[in-house]
Amino acid sequence: MSAGVNPAPDPGVDRLADLLARVALGDQRAFAELYRTASPHLYAIAIRIVRNGALAEEMLQEAFVSIWHHANTYDAARSRPITWLTSIVRNRCLDWLRRREVPTESLARNDDAMPWEPPSDGPSPVDLLLAAADAQALRGCVDALEPGPRQAIALAFFEGLSHSELAAHMREPLGTVKSWVRRGLAALRRCLDAAGIAP
Amino acid sequence: MNLSRPDRHDRLDRLAAEFALGTTPPRVRRRLVAIARRDRSVAAALSDWERRIAVLGERVPPVTPAPRVWRNIVARLGLEPERPSEREVKGQRNAAFWRTLAIASLAGVVVLGFAEWRRPPSVVPAPLVVVLSGSDAKVAMIATGSRGQRYLTVRTVGNASPGADKAFELWALPQAGSPQPLGVIPEGGIVRVPLQNPVDEVLSNIPTLAVSVEPPGGSPTGKPTGPVLYSGAIERMY
Repeated sequence: MSAGVNPAPDPGVDRLADLLARVALGDQRAFAELYRTASPHLYAIAIRIVRNGALAEEMLQEAFVSIWHHANTYDAARSRPITWLTSIVRNRCLDWLRRREVPTESLARNDDAMPWEPPSDGPSPVDLLLAAADAQALRGCVDALEPGPRQAIALAFFEGLSHSELAAHMREPLGTVKSWVRRGLAALRRCLDAAGIAP
Repeated sequence: MNLSRPDRHDRLDRLAAEFALGTTPPRVRRRLVAIARRDRSVAAALSDWERRIAVLGERVPPVTPAPRVWRNIVARLGLEPERPSEREVKGQRNAAFWRTLAIASLAGVVVLGFAEWRRPPSVVPAPLVVVLSGSDAKVAMIATGSRGQRYLTVRTVGNASPGADKAFELWALPQAGSPQPLGVIPEGGIVRVPLQNPVDEVLSNIPTLAVSVEPPGGSPTGKPTGPVLYSGAIERMY
């Protein structure tokens, strides 16, 4: 287990939900506080996916512009505030990454998939997955994943790799990687739902 | 694609899972987002999976972004440029003001005059325009600003581009002395360059603006390092 894996800022679900509700009413102070509280976690997520500080800053900016405009669509009954915020940032980053790709996937793409270098410092994707497992008592669920699906899901989630990039990075056929992702997600869902962790 | 029919439930669930994980191809991503806007069951499937998947990311070591990110957000939204970290300081100042006002109110009539005095002078937006062109005299960019605003709006005309892995940086050229960096011009047709201070202060003694080609984050030295491609005189309407 890698050191330096710290918990996400969790000042309490209620606090963030309260801030979001005030942002929805146009409260600029609440918006500043929301930014101060959530931006280090969201920026870290963005950097890992786009792998470029300046670009991650741009993604974070766009995400917060969107948060200001769409805070009124946040539904506290559906998701925790940090989940909602994280989804906005991840979707921005993924849209940006995918926009640069050829819109059709084929085996031929494996050869010219975007070169991927693991981040030189900080915990690896699998470290982070295991850390999350520790934190959330998900250990059983993550442990239950076979090594292939586990690594594929960790790389896709933390580094934003597409199927073809996963195949290139893991040196496996595209079909194998796709089925790992599918099987891994299905297993994760069964386990999470059974454990009542993220129903 | 009717994804809400019961027999499609498994397929929807799989698509939503991969959407949340991020492996969905772009075409399918766009379609799912479009469908979710009008189909509640699809929207619910996506947000359920986003919730499950987000659990994985809760232990990413946090990284504090540079202060310019917040400044840019505030500038893009046209909000009051309050820095998150300045909140307490400002709060204290306000508290001091209200305390003073409360004491003053004991004096009855004095209050009115005092409150009137505290009111900030109204800011009349007065525009400033700069037409930036290159050596061929073709217009490449138009920058506009208003007194009191803390940003310049820059519109790119035609297809001016800094090139791959480069950025345009905006500079204030004083009558004497070195160019002063105003900031990197974000990519896009009409963008904002945030300023530390109001336009009229930043450009008070500046006759000209210029644009140079720099590395993506801007000049590392504080002076133009790449070619200065465009420049133009500042025209003030105030």
